[in-house]
Amino acid sequence: MSNLFHLIYNELKKLYIQKSSKIMYIVLGVIILGIAIVSNSVGNLGEQYEQENWREVLQEENKELTQEMEDKEAFQGMNTAQIEKNNYYLEQDIQPVSYGAWQFVMENEMLLSVVSLLTIIVAAGIVANEFRWGTIKLLLIRPITRTKILLSKYITVLLFALFTLVFVLVFSWIIGALFFGIEGIDPKVVLDQGDGLAYVSVINEIITGYGYKLVNLVMMATFAFMISSVFRNSTIAIGLAIFLMMAGNQIVLFFAERSWSKYILFANTDLSQYANGNTSLIEGMSLGFSITVLLVYYAVFLLLSWLFFTKRDVAGS
Amino acid sequence: MTDAAMELINVKKTIGNKEIIKGLSFSINKGEVFGFIGPNGAGKTTTIRMMVGLMQLTDGDVRILGKSIKTDYKKAVREVGAIVENPEMYPFMTGAQNIDHYARMIPGITKERIKEAIHIVGLENALNEKVGKYSLGMRQRLGIAQALLHRPSVLILDEPTNGLDPAGIREIRQYIRKLAEEEDVAVIVSSHLLTEVELMCDRIGVLKNGELVATQAVNDSSTNTNQHSEVSMEVSPADKALELLKKDYEMDVVHQNGSLTFKWDKEKIPELIKFLVSHEVSIFQVSVSKSTLEDKFFDLIGENTIE
Repeated sequence: MSNLFHLIYNELKKLYIQKSSKIMYIVLGVIILGIAIVSNSVGNLGEQYEQENWREVLQEENKELTQEMEDKEAFQGMNTAQIEKNNYYLEQDIQPVSYGAWQFVMENEMLLSVVSLLTIIVAAGIVANEFRWGTIKLLLIRPITRTKILLSKYITVLLFALFTLVFVLVFSWIIGALFFGIEGIDPKVVLDQGDGLAYVSVINEIITGYGYKLVNLVMMATFAFMISSVFRNSTIAIGLAIFLMMAGNQIVLFFAERSWSKYILFANTDLSQYANGNTSLIEGMSLGFSITVLLVYYAVFLLLSWLFFTKRDVAGS
Repeated sequence: MTDAAMELINVKKTIGNKEIIKGLSFSINKGEVFGFIGPNGAGKTTTIRMMVGLMQLTDGDVRILGKSIKTDYKKAVREVGAIVENPEMYPFMTGAQNIDHYARMIPGITKERIKEAIHIVGLENALNEKVGKYSLGMRQRLGIAQALLHRPSVLILDEPTNGLDPAGIREIRQYIRKLAEEEDVAVIVSSHLLTEVELMCDRIGVLKNGELVATQAVNDSSTNTNQHSEVSMEVSPADKALELLKKDYEMDVVHQNGSLTFKWDKEKIPELIKFLVSHEVSIFQVSVSKSTLEDKFFDLIGENTIE
């Protein structure tokens, strides 16, 4: 056990000592900062709701939005949604909270695709790079089974995803707090939940929102890891994984007519399709079905990685 | 218990339907330096890869201190330290970080042992430099340090003097001898340079097209004085000496630029010199080449073709 711990320590050290890893975090930080600066400059972040006359403020805002809609067709969708939300606040007599760190974190949920991208890059390189550097030979001639070395590398990929996720959460919160302030310990907002508007906890939304996206992240990282172990080439692994991540939904749509389309990985990676009583994209799918399909894919990815890594000769480059 | 540190038993390797290694059987004893030579493509590196478990054996077995690399991998490989082909390290880490990385993979390696291994290869001053900036010779030293960390019983070095300067080569050679003699380590050195191997090995195995064509103790050939050695002499006047040697000794002498080359018994050389001097031939230089091993090597692999 301590042995595995040492191996993971080695892998993490090798990963984080490289310049490219540091650059990844700098890029993430800059993106988060950029979003905050842009949001801040747009203004209208709801400080005025804090006042006693928040009802009038909301009504005034609705009027402005309606006016804007009449002038410009393009704003129709966005403004209607905002007016509906404002009306919900008024009808339920709930004072809206101003914008703050928690909501900023919630909105940065989209950054998880960047985290996925970075995790794919790491997963694609962690085995293939040892082959490229030639260090795989010195790594394998130790009294440690190849299975254990592969496991330590896979765990390192998951740890990288976790650390990066935590970085996004914490850094977003700090930046959000600096730019917009903190809107309380457990703020609630009105959000469109698919089956209508609801007054929900932001923290709850953060957990479920990020959680659902993590499924896709882990699957794609495992896929890249598998390609990396099978082909021993990080370029192929990065290319394939990113292509599939981007094109996944199109692939599902393209084959949607076929009866087997529900078995496509990407038809199942978005588990939020079952949340709040939504109906699934394709007939015959349920939460249980999707989880089963995901587990089968996951097991196949890991099995292939293991087979190729442990059984194949390490021959000359 | 036998004295064999490593045993190869009918080791075969087939890739596709091509037989790369065709049944190698030999053993290396404790405290012995074994030279593994052969032309490029003979299968040296493939054999070494099988010895350390990087490649699977198609047939046969490799035993290290009696433990099979196939069935008792962890225990067998615990006793092996190796450099396979080039000593590749993580270029973005320093020498010290690289060594620490490998030290963490085997339990029981103390800080003192790490220092000791670094000291052996004389790399103390470059430890905090990134390996990417190392010369090939420095990486070779780091590779040897890495292979020694866990005090292996068998040390396998693939072309260990590659990239070292003459002083470095001498140092490594002396160190390999010391390891074998004082710590009873079996050292396997592969090389395509015969002279290199000859200087540090006790025994040499010649590999050709995946077969071991000969094993020979190094000392046998150099102390064996019954054989004729190749002698070359720088003399003046050369024509007169040539005539004398041909007439009185009935030798086959090759004359080239004032130097005569012929086969002669090493022990009888002083006698020859006296004879020439008494006939007023000036001798500037006499050299005896210890080339029997080399000759033998070329006899064995001379017609080598990569199949």
